[in-house]
Parts: sequence; C-alpha cells; structure tokens
Amino acid sequence: MKKAPLVAIPLVLFSLLVIFLFKGLFSDPRELDSQVQDKTLPSFSLPDLMQPDVTYTPEDLKGKVTILNVWGVWCVTCAVEMPYLTQLKNEQNVHIVGLYFDQDLDPDFGTKTLSRVQQEVTDMLSRYGNPYAYNIFDVYRDTSLDLGVTGAPEHFVIDAEGIIRMHHIGDINERVWNSKVGPLYNKLVAEASGKVSEDRKVDVDAVMSDVQSVQGGE
Amino acid sequence: MLPRNATHLRCRAYSASTDERSAHGKTFNFSVFKTLVARVLAFLLILGAFSVHAAEDKFTFDTSAQRESFLKLTAELRCPMCQNQNIADSDAMIAHDMRRKVYTLLKQGKTEQEVIEFMKSRYGDFVHYQPPVTAATLWLWAGPVLFIFIALLVVIRRKSVTPPEDMAAKLAKADEMLEREKE
Repeated sequence: MKKAPLVAIPLVLFSLLVIFLFKGLFSDPRELDSQVQDKTLPSFSLPDLMQPDVTYTPEDLKGKVTILNVWGVWCVTCAVEMPYLTQLKNEQNVHIVGLYFDQDLDPDFGTKTLSRVQQEVTDMLSRYGNPYAYNIFDVYRDTSLDLGVTGAPEHFVIDAEGIIRMHHIGDINERVWNSKVGPLYNKLVAEASGKVSEDRKVDVDAVMSDVQSVQGGE
Repeated sequence: MLPRNATHLRCRAYSASTDERSAHGKTFNFSVFKTLVARVLAFLLILGAFSVHAAEDKFTFDTSAQRESFLKLTAELRCPMCQNQNIADSDAMIAHDMRRKVYTLLKQGKTEQEVIEFMKSRYGDFVHYQPPVTAATLWLWAGPVLFIFIALLVVIRRKSVTPPEDMAAKLAKADEMLEREKE
C-alpha cells in the first residue's frame, strides 16, 4: 500500500507540466507589465504637430480624463482604429489626444521635412476621420521611450490628475472599448466630475459653518 | 492580442553597410569542396565582422572603454519588439531608438548600471537579459539544485534499502555445484 503514492508522483508531475505548457499556449509574450502604470506622466515639452510654435507639457493633460493615443501614418492598425476612435469622440465625447511619432524621421539624418509629415497626417485624417483634440509631436521619440512604448498603436488612459491609469497595447475597437478601456474611462470621468461636485459641496459646507459660526457669535 | 502593423513587426537582423559583402562572391580555383569550405569560412568571417561592428557604424566614441560599454550594453539589452533579439541585432525602430539612447547616456557619462536601470524603469526587468533574483525567479536557480539534491537522497535511500547479499555463501554454493558436476 505504501507504493501507491510513490507511483503517483511522476503522474502528478506530468500533469502539472501539461497544465503549465497548455497555459503557455494562450499567453502573449508581447504583453509586458507596464512600468508607467499609476505614475504621473514623464516630463516632456513637445510641439503641436500642426502648429510647431505651440508647446505642450504634462500640465496640459491635467484637468480632463484623456486617452493618449500613440500613432503614426505609417501604422496600418492606427488607420484601422481611427474611424472607431472618431465615432467615440463624436458620440461619447471621448477626449483623445494624439502622441504622434514618425518612423522615417531619423533624428540623425533628418530625411523627412515637417511639412511633409503634416501633409501626410492631414491626408490620413481627412480619409479616416479625426478623433484627436490635438496632436503632440514626439520629434525624437524620447517621450515614447520614456512611456515604454514599443510600437503603435498604444493607448494611455490618463486621469484628471495626470496619472496614467492604463497602458493598452494594440488598437481600440468596439470589443476592447466595451470590455477594457471604456469602463475605466467612464469611471474616471465620473470620478473627476464627482470630485468637482464634492469640492463644491465642501465649499457649501464651509460656507454654511462659517455662516453658523457667525450666527453663533452674534 | 490583435495583430499590429505588419511594417512595424520588422524583426530582421540589423546590418551595417554592405560593401564587404562583395568579398563573399569571390571564387577560388580549387576543387569544388575546397571552394565550398573557403566560401563558408569567408562567410563566417564576414558574419563575425558584422556582429562586432554592426551596432557602432554611426556612433563615435571618446574612449575605447566607452565603446566597450556600448557594445556590451547593446548585446545585453533585449529588444521589446523583437523579443528574441538584443538591441544590437534588431532592426526594429525601437531598437534603433534604444541604441541611440544608450549612446547618448554613455556620452553623458552614465555608468553601465545606470543605463540598465534607465531601460528597466521604462521597459521592466524584461529588457535586460540577466534576470534579477526575486521570489518568482529564484526557482530558476534553486530548481536544478533542489532536483539534484532530492535525486541524490532518493538514490542513497534506495541503496541502503536493498539487502546486502551474502557473496561468500553464494560462492560456496557455486563451488559446491561445480564439485558435484565434476563427480
């Protein structure tokens, strides 16, 4: 009778191995733990893509829940998701800001002029719809590197305090929006508006107590 | 995950200028076998030359130590896009940008460790080919040692369990049988 558990050991080990390998079939090696989750945006000072004299810093993304969309005209999946993002902007008033970077613009050689990049972007946006409030131009791709971007499209959901709450790699389509990005976005928007009204309420209370204390003092 | 842009998933090897490649086409006046061997050798030599100089073609360094650091780091850091290549080998755009970043950081006088920390803080432990020892990764080292230890224990226990055979008695019995056969 003592032999039975010993015989079972290889069987158990084998089943564990099978379960481990089977799970591996469905794991995505590209899914990395984002290092910017729940952190504030890395500091940057970058020009607007269309008006280079306008400069943006992380401060400009505060006060409103934002989806920062990393994209480029060379990226096919970005073109695919663009009509849906435009739909989100028009129907649900989603605040989307583009972080644009160009693939061919090698900082060491400078093969492409800014006006050509602008022309390509205008062409693409007129063809697929423009979901962006504005586009930040990551000229040297430094900010993308700071954000841990590996390609495009990637999305960062940033709350009203300027803290990154989600890093979504890949496109946003209806399924992704409804199951992953949308719920968080709506929750953050509700939180942000709730906070505003809470602040007001506190103000009212403060005013009331002031009034009361004044009244009590009389 | 959904498929991403095809042009973006370029995971081919990064290669430097191709001038030297013409040497590969040189033919030799030996037998076919010798030609083949020579070609393979020449190709390997060229490959070796590329792997050493590929990552530094457009970078210039102040000191040879800085160059060494650059070559070491680009070989040690892993490309987040082409996951089985280091950033010296990968031609993905992110690898280009990371090489440039490593270069500028080294030029700023950062140490190798600081560069690695810089990349880790952006792309996680994943980006370095030397995994840190944590509770989760400890088993990579402890696993094989534990396995050997347990296997040794099992072997030792098995040996002591088997009853010692009386060789002398057996020999005596065999002798006896031989004697009987002789008779």
